[in-house]
Amino acid sequence: MQPDTSFSPIDRLRRMRETRLGSFVPVLLALAAIWVYFGLALPLWDFWSDPDAGSIRFIFLSPRNIYNLFMQSAVIATLAVGITVVLLLGEIDLSAAATAGVCAALLGVLVLAGIPGWAACLIVMAVGVIMGAAQGLLIAYVGIPSFVVTLAGLLGYQGLMQKILPTGNLNIGDPFVRAIARILIPDLWGLVMAGLLVLAIAALALRRQAERKARGLELDTNATLWGQVAFFAIIVFAAVLTMNAYRSVPLLIILLTGVTAIVGWVSTSTPFGRSIFAVGGNAESARRVGMNVRRIRVVAFGIVGLLAAIGGIFGASRYGSVSYTAFAGGSLLLESIGAAVIGGTSLFGGRGSVWNAILGALVIGSLGNGLDLSGASAADKLMFSGAILLLAVAIDALSRPAGNGAR
Amino acid sequence: MSLENNQQVGPSAPPPHLRVAGIEKRFGGVHALKGVDFEVARGEVMALVGDNGAGKSTLMKVLAGALVCDGGDFFIDEEPVVISNPHDAGALGIQIVYQDLALCENLDVAANLSLGAEPVKSGWPFLPRFLRPLDDLEMEVRAKAAIDRLQVRTLRSVRAKVGGLSGGQRQAIAIARAVGAECSVVMLDEPTAALGVAQTRQVLDVVKRLRDTGHAVVYISHNMRDIFEVSDRICVLRHGANVATWKTSETTADEIVVAMTAGLDSGTNNAA
Repeated sequence: MQPDTSFSPIDRLRRMRETRLGSFVPVLLALAAIWVYFGLALPLWDFWSDPDAGSIRFIFLSPRNIYNLFMQSAVIATLAVGITVVLLLGEIDLSAAATAGVCAALLGVLVLAGIPGWAACLIVMAVGVIMGAAQGLLIAYVGIPSFVVTLAGLLGYQGLMQKILPTGNLNIGDPFVRAIARILIPDLWGLVMAGLLVLAIAALALRRQAERKARGLELDTNATLWGQVAFFAIIVFAAVLTMNAYRSVPLLIILLTGVTAIVGWVSTSTPFGRSIFAVGGNAESARRVGMNVRRIRVVAFGIVGLLAAIGGIFGASRYGSVSYTAFAGGSLLLESIGAAVIGGTSLFGGRGSVWNAILGALVIGSLGNGLDLSGASAADKLMFSGAILLLAVAIDALSRPAGNGAR
Repeated sequence: MSLENNQQVGPSAPPPHLRVAGIEKRFGGVHALKGVDFEVARGEVMALVGDNGAGKSTLMKVLAGALVCDGGDFFIDEEPVVISNPHDAGALGIQIVYQDLALCENLDVAANLSLGAEPVKSGWPFLPRFLRPLDDLEMEVRAKAAIDRLQVRTLRSVRAKVGGLSGGQRQAIAIARAVGAECSVVMLDEPTAALGVAQTRQVLDVVKRLRDTGHAVVYISHNMRDIFEVSDRICVLRHGANVATWKTSETTADEIVVAMTAGLDSGTNNAA
């Protein structure tokens, strides 16, 4: 029987974690800790320990650095959003970065051959879906574990990328592709969009509350309602104002937010998304209520493929080139899986959110960026990333609602 | 054979809603069900008991369409019907609650109750159905109605995650999910096996509630105390065949246990 502890702090914490925003708290705390450490603690320490320093220099928290941080994390975030979808199913995709690499390389070759940029983007997105869904078919219908299939995919797609790019490097000058990362939204427009977004969220929340009242359902407290709106408004405006302070909001970030919003909406608010969570929570249960578990798996891997392709396009646009090490051969894969997991998505399926993956990508990006700024070696960066990943999984395991064995 | 074995109930038994006769099932060389007869009426709890391997679960799976029997007849309200897959059983209003419940612990109560048949908002005709927005408020309304029907009083919110609920509450939700789907026959497999005293009480209340709302309930259990509290009739299987069916009010736990373990031949006082 559920003990009636509606006023104990632990119960409140659990309730908070079960709300949509509450699950953000651990990853936000991690982000805050990293930012405070690199942004405040390190500069202050340098200032006090070095008598020659004239003034404190907050490099990490400068708008310029935050802007670059967002841009650097965008590719990781795109892949992490896709990987989150398969993690929700209880599967894993090790081939996402290699898929992104193949798609980016193909994009480069296509625009070099004179195909217009927009058409090339659509083609590589279709190719990404096919690459992902092909793996999904092997997993769902042949019954090979996703770990093995996507490991094979990782190797195979790495090879494929080298076939497409024998030199390992290709510059991309196509104006359409470059524009994705270059176009900036004017300052005022950025603020107007942020304002409209917040108003829309508030209106939706109020309408929902009114509908709940009309139907006699339990209501959220006003504090929860307005807390969520305020929390959302603070994040949106802080991000927009920071980016405006350096340049402006880049189109890339808007696109990333839009893609994430679509995937997030599908995963939480449609029957298909519900079936993803159901399969991740209890595949047998999903099968018994008549869901086509195999088809759901294939589609989910198709979605990762699509997002990997989009990540590839974003990357090609941002770097202005495609190189083997930036995608398939580098650390992108582990960073994006790490971002999804640090965001709080369970490796065992059924729990998580694509928005958390973006915050997880920011954690990974901030860590790398901060260590770079403080002059750490590549070895230090790897070890720190590993420690943070471990910490994130441990926090997730500890803050899980007590259910297994505790009752 | 069946007439003799059912004589303990005799003509006073209520007219059956679901009745099967002469069910045969073989698994390779194992003769799991040897011409089993079984029936259950609306507004009745029929307990199905037997030792391990007696064929209880096999019979239940046959009734639910999860197994196809090798021979036998099915009747709903004495009309012959065919049950060859779970879909047939569902269409006839036969629902089964498996011992493992098959709930999604990561989803809330409302989502579990409408799993696989989620209501969607109207007015999105350009989207395929699986991409239309979920009507989660409707989902909650339905869940509340289902929970209220079964009078699960301890459940505070249909928005609670199932992973945080007690065993009894989960069992009640699994039953509510089965009942929600327009069913007349509910089969429960060991619903109290893993539960404590208070939880068991809760589940037994739900079972009684099902009977009072005119459902035909098949209750599989090893627990004699639960069976004698909740059932109206007791059907005993042994080695894949009927031993007998008793009215619960006219028998004792000892008699049932003897029938389960030794059958009627060596039973001493089964002459009735």
